[in-house]
Amino acid sequence: MSEALEITNPTQHHSNWPTPDNNEGGEKSPVNMSYGKTMMWYFLLSDAFTFSAFLIAYLAIRMSHVWWPNPNHVFNAMPFLEGVKAPMGFVTIMTSILILSSVFVVRAVQEGHRMNKNGVAMWMVGGIIGGMMFLGCQAWEWSHLIHEGLRPFFNPFILDAEGTLRIAQSAINETTGIREIAVNAQNQFVDVHGVAHTIGEGMKQGGPETFGALFFGITGFHGFHVFTGICLNIYVLVATLNGTFERRGHYEMVEKIGLYWHFVDLVWIFVFLAFYLM
Amino acid sequence: MSDNVMTDEQYNSQVKAVWRATIYLAILTVVEVSMALFMHGKVSTFVLNSLFVLMTLWKAYFIIGEFMHVKYESRALVMTLGLPLTFLVWAIIAFAHDGNAWLKAFLEVTTP
Repeated sequence: MSEALEITNPTQHHSNWPTPDNNEGGEKSPVNMSYGKTMMWYFLLSDAFTFSAFLIAYLAIRMSHVWWPNPNHVFNAMPFLEGVKAPMGFVTIMTSILILSSVFVVRAVQEGHRMNKNGVAMWMVGGIIGGMMFLGCQAWEWSHLIHEGLRPFFNPFILDAEGTLRIAQSAINETTGIREIAVNAQNQFVDVHGVAHTIGEGMKQGGPETFGALFFGITGFHGFHVFTGICLNIYVLVATLNGTFERRGHYEMVEKIGLYWHFVDLVWIFVFLAFYLM
Repeated sequence: MSDNVMTDEQYNSQVKAVWRATIYLAILTVVEVSMALFMHGKVSTFVLNSLFVLMTLWKAYFIIGEFMHVKYESRALVMTLGLPLTFLVWAIIAFAHDGNAWLKAFLEVTTP
């Protein structure tokens, strides 16, 4: 790793880092990277914390509920195949589209290193189409779930009989002393059925009302990032075709926007984990 | 990686590395989805979710390392990005624990 810390001529990678000439010190990049790319990385770090905050809030709320809607039941619809149950099918397609779009942009970055204008443009077109397809899929999924009755503060996905039984069983097993409570209640002529009813009602009312708010909020915030990424990718495509980067002598802008685009893909991996897999 | 223009050799090996990472990502996604479909109820939820987290981190490694090129960047950059993120380990443990405590409090209130 020592070679990474060696002094590098900043002009070698078209750096805008402060130099001794403007009395700001820092004659070389401490991370051996151009200023713009470094700042994109630190922006992405801050964005990672924003998404982490959302996903950790989701985790805490989900942990605090007795049950949570089963993703295999909630996400089982497929466009153009009405009535066909395909659990997780559509979201797998969405994930593949976004990952492939990310791969296309990596290829564009690599072609940029070779100063291959047409190669960059071609792969960027692929990346943009992938992003648009992903957003289209998400729009369909949202409208489907809204049609099913999901709202930010209303959750139509209630438990079926089998699920209720399973959860009641695990609640009895896990909650310490619940058996003793029932026995005491019986001894003191307290209505045991009433207690059971209270638990059941609590499970329903305390059920995940926020499921919709969390789903729309987090996938919506991610979708907004995808939208922003598509706009930036279109800018890169237009500037490439205009020859802006060719005249500049390097395609570093493709790398910077590419980093953002891969980050959007990276976040989706974790959203996929939180909402669809677990 | 500071040069603008790569040699043919570098180019070919990096293109290959990217497509290899893509294949790994595809395989991992398919395995994850089939586990989510067929293994619920057969394996304990804790084990299943732990496997999902591990496989997601594995996928994240390919995206960050290969697509975002971090594997080839300086150690200084990796440290300035990675070390702040380790605080999230604490946050995840603390909030999972607290969420569980809310559940316990709720069950205590609803069971007289």
